[in-house]
Amino acid sequence: MGLQKSINEETVGDLPLLKPICVEPSVTVREAIQMMRDRKLGCVIVKDENRKPQGMMSERHLIKLLPNGQAFLDDPVEKHMSELWASVGESESIAMVIHKMQYHGIRFLCVVDDQGKVVGQTGQKGVMRYIAEHFPHQVKVQMMESKLYMDQREGA
Amino acid sequence: MRPKRQDKKTGDFEDPLSNYDPPVFADPLEESLTDALTELDTTPVEMVDSSTTVGEAITRMSDRNIASVLIVDDGKLKGIFSERDVLYRVSDQFEQIKNEPVTTVMTQNPQVAYESDTPAKALNLMVTGGFRHVPILDADDNVVGIIGPRRVTRYLQQYLKTD
Repeated sequence: MGLQKSINEETVGDLPLLKPICVEPSVTVREAIQMMRDRKLGCVIVKDENRKPQGMMSERHLIKLLPNGQAFLDDPVEKHMSELWASVGESESIAMVIHKMQYHGIRFLCVVDDQGKVVGQTGQKGVMRYIAEHFPHQVKVQMMESKLYMDQREGA
Repeated sequence: MRPKRQDKKTGDFEDPLSNYDPPVFADPLEESLTDALTELDTTPVEMVDSSTTVGEAITRMSDRNIASVLIVDDGKLKGIFSERDVLYRVSDQFEQIKNEPVTTVMTQNPQVAYESDTPAKALNLMVTGGFRHVPILDADDNVVGIIGPRRVTRYLQQYLKTD
């Protein structure tokens, strides 16, 4: 199956989904940062008591906030999160994931089930991995050491 | 000296590459992965020198709404300072280190690609190496650009109908 057909027919569930970091709105930014470090993820999803996403805070927020000092670290995460944030249903196509990321200019998408509850997270990295899996000969078979010329002549 | 390859029937010299079949691509996107990396948008690239402070680098990233800056002296790459470095090394001690040089918290010797490499090579570094931003160098090792996931996705999207 060609990639065009695949991204139109395969669903978000076929992407490598990450288990998101879901936090309560009252968690402090400092605690959220520690969770991102521990889990090696670039964002936390702020959810309400019904596991529905209310917003998101990412590394980008830190870049925006730090020039004004670090007093925000002890604020609740809900004070600085982005409330308008795109999500995608787990039964939607991979083409929709790519479109939403480009349209909204974002790196991460929250994956929700039919009831709107958070079930995973995907993003640019997941899409690139999906494309790489499609073209293993082109993408995966590459020399890791990138050099234009040899330091020494090969052979005797 | 090895004898020249000869056609068995006519005795004429036969170039062994004359019947070489070029690769056939089933998908235009697959073919695009073999283009030159310069086909992608590799600029603008935000560069600072090694005397720049942590605070100045973060302010630059915030003002330009970008995820990383390259630390470059005399055209040569010294390191990269990205959102991930901010998360791990700066965020909870910003006040203490904001006047330190950015070189103290940057990632040294990042993986690079050359402008003669292919998009497939860049994708490989990002997917298998886990690097979100890959600086692009010319043949003299001077910095000429940078690629990140957004630029790669935008490039690939030319070959995909997603809306």
